[in-house]
Amino acid sequence: MLNEYFIRRVLYLVPVLIFISFMSFSLIYIAPGDPAEIMMTSPSGGYDEAAVEAFRIAHGLDQPFYIQYLNWIKNAAVGDFGYSYMSEQSVFETVLNAFENTLKLSVLALAIALVIAIPLGVVSALKHNTIVDDACRFGALLGVSIPNFWQAYLMIIFFSVIIHWLPASGFGHGTDISYMIMPAAVLGTGSAAVMVRMIRSSMLDVMGKEYIQTARGKGLSEKIVIIRHALKNALVPVITVIGLSIGFLLNGSVVVETIFGWSGIGNLVVDSILSHDYMMVQGSVLFVAVIFLLINFFVDLVYVWANPEIRYDKTS
Amino acid sequence: MEFNAQKTKISISAVAVILIVALLCAGCVDTGEASKEKVLRVVFNEGPDTGGSLDPANGWTGWYVHQAGIYETLFYYDADMNLMPKLASGYKQLNDTEWEIQLRKDVTFHDGTKMNADAVLFSLKRVLDPSNSRSSEYSFIKDVRKTGEYTIVIETNDVYAPLISSLVDPVMSIVSPSIVDADKQPDGTGPFKFVSFEPGASLEVEKNPNYWDGEAKVDRILIQYNKDSTARTMLIKSGDVDISRDPLQSEYSALKSNPDINVTSKETLRTYFLYINGGKAPFNDTRVRQALFYAINRQEIVDTALEGVSGIPAKGIFTSTMPWNANDQIESYDYNPEKALELFEEAGITKGTDGKLYYNGKPFTVEIQTYTKRAALQPSAEIIASQLEKIGITSKVTILESAALTENAVAGNYDLSLAAWSTAPTGDPDYFLSSHYLSTGNYASKWLRYSNPQVDKWILEARTETDEKKRAELYDKIQIQIQKDAVLLPVFYANEIYALSSNVTGFEMYPNEYTIITKDIGFA
Repeated sequence: MLNEYFIRRVLYLVPVLIFISFMSFSLIYIAPGDPAEIMMTSPSGGYDEAAVEAFRIAHGLDQPFYIQYLNWIKNAAVGDFGYSYMSEQSVFETVLNAFENTLKLSVLALAIALVIAIPLGVVSALKHNTIVDDACRFGALLGVSIPNFWQAYLMIIFFSVIIHWLPASGFGHGTDISYMIMPAAVLGTGSAAVMVRMIRSSMLDVMGKEYIQTARGKGLSEKIVIIRHALKNALVPVITVIGLSIGFLLNGSVVVETIFGWSGIGNLVVDSILSHDYMMVQGSVLFVAVIFLLINFFVDLVYVWANPEIRYDKTS
Repeated sequence: MEFNAQKTKISISAVAVILIVALLCAGCVDTGEASKEKVLRVVFNEGPDTGGSLDPANGWTGWYVHQAGIYETLFYYDADMNLMPKLASGYKQLNDTEWEIQLRKDVTFHDGTKMNADAVLFSLKRVLDPSNSRSSEYSFIKDVRKTGEYTIVIETNDVYAPLISSLVDPVMSIVSPSIVDADKQPDGTGPFKFVSFEPGASLEVEKNPNYWDGEAKVDRILIQYNKDSTARTMLIKSGDVDISRDPLQSEYSALKSNPDINVTSKETLRTYFLYINGGKAPFNDTRVRQALFYAINRQEIVDTALEGVSGIPAKGIFTSTMPWNANDQIESYDYNPEKALELFEEAGITKGTDGKLYYNGKPFTVEIQTYTKRAALQPSAEIIASQLEKIGITSKVTILESAALTENAVAGNYDLSLAAWSTAPTGDPDYFLSSHYLSTGNYASKWLRYSNPQVDKWILEARTETDEKKRAELYDKIQIQIQKDAVLLPVFYANEIYALSSNVTGFEMYPNEYTIITKDIGFA
């Protein structure tokens, strides 16, 4: 059953991706601005008309919309995502490189989010309606409400300018973890805030269930009841939230990437949209879409594993 | 039986905590190493785009690899905008269309290849090749050829006076003929050679021990690129960088009073000005444009929008650092609202009973369009609008993406449009004047709708005039005339700000933005 489901889901991806690529191509095409002109505008201010015209012809921008799109899809179908207008580099390599950077931040951010969210969510539920619970909920509210950029600046001021523990921003060859901590923390605390509330309510729900009473009745220690019986079951709905968080993290955050000078997928997408770098827009948007779809798909699979009550067969 | 205590299970969270702490410590240890090396850390506001080519012949990438001290050009402008030889040792105009350039004989590329006529031909031809996106800018060149081991001749189609200064553009950087991958492994002649690059994030270079002009004072430079001016300010405050380009102007005095930081600012070649739609009534009336010149209080814009530090009030289109400027001879249009109202009245724009100005019975409205790429644009536009409001013009500011702005301008769909141009990056006035005031020029015809046959004649004459003195006279005349015609409205000249750690020595600011890192930067 699962196999059939799997195949069906994969097949669904194809029309979805074609639709997404068409949407992104037409939106960027409709948006005001001529890529040739943008590419050929010097940082000193102007552009040379002959150069703009030559660029247009060299990149097939003088062709009608549908020809341009069909050309793109024809090449994309065989795995050729073209070259950036701006840098003349392979779109595929550029996107992959940016994604690798985003992935590094995302893994750390997710770890930070889970480390904060799971204990706080559980404690908040166990001590519900006490001052501890209030504090956790207040913290979560704060986490959701504080804008990323502000939190980033506050952290930089404290950790870099005042106590000099961490570099204020930078890439550090992409391997030096000290450069990743603050951006990951900003991203992670944002996700954690959402998760805490979810875990809390889910835990409260589960703690009232009969099987928890039964487990307690069996004489199991409270610790085992909470971790093995309550938490595991409470996490099922949380998986959706975690899945979404991963999706968002992997799509990159323009704000965090810009402030911390981290070259991830978020900046790549926005920069290529602003410069109308059609090939790069198509490549990066499609990549991001694939990531999102795959994660949703994966989350669905995890459901089955985490909760045997869920089944994906024809009757469901 | 219960004594067999449960094995401690390490939860996921505990593992994560341990991992993070371990990684943190790893990060801490790293920083202690290699302290004997003199490492300069800098942050710039812009660099090679996120796609990541480092080929100077690709678009405007040349600016950034030149700024990083990797590549050099045949000629350059020093900090006072004097045209000087760099890899060339001199030049001679052979006849109207042929120029001989002599090359230095003591230069080698980072890979050890000798810099000679062949290398120069190789580099120039990479740009002149029709497949290069910028080749059309050099369409005035007919041929380049080698006439000796260290001499080349450039032949132009017509007489072209700005030839030598056109070679200053970093797109014309001299590249090693044995270069393997110009995109990923730059190979130039500069004081620093390439180490590593992370697109959109950082560039690392190290000292070129065989530099022809003496060794650089630092061993290694880590350049990071950060578009956020707040972050750039904090980087210098926290001591994470030694040089920060363009920090927040609002932090200028705070940085200045910090004993660990020096702040310098200098006028660049960048002018902020308003395009005026000369094809639309009433802006097609010279008096109306002149009235706008008088209506704007440039000093107030500098004092408020620029907080007194990022610019100075403008007069003509060229900044005072630009050698060819005629700012001492042109009409200055000092702020004078009464005079503005007089001129408006002459042009049929009159005050109504409500104190507002009316044109053809309708309220006289002015829309200022601008974009956000440069931080000073929007606040300046807003202050200009409020100044126009003050004398009774209904004004508003519209923020657009720069692409949309161009589209509107070309369609004639605008009144005023605030822009920022480095008006003469190659130090020559021809490019800007030809594009903005020659009636066939791109901006003259499509944006300003300006045409003055006399100005056309002078511009074409000046382009072919190789006698510097006569050429300067022509440019003076042009600048006087276009100011009289009030074609476009200069608002202020941009200052560039750098914040430096107080122990940094030998740093100099170059007005044309091509040169930033030099061999002379070091530590006290």
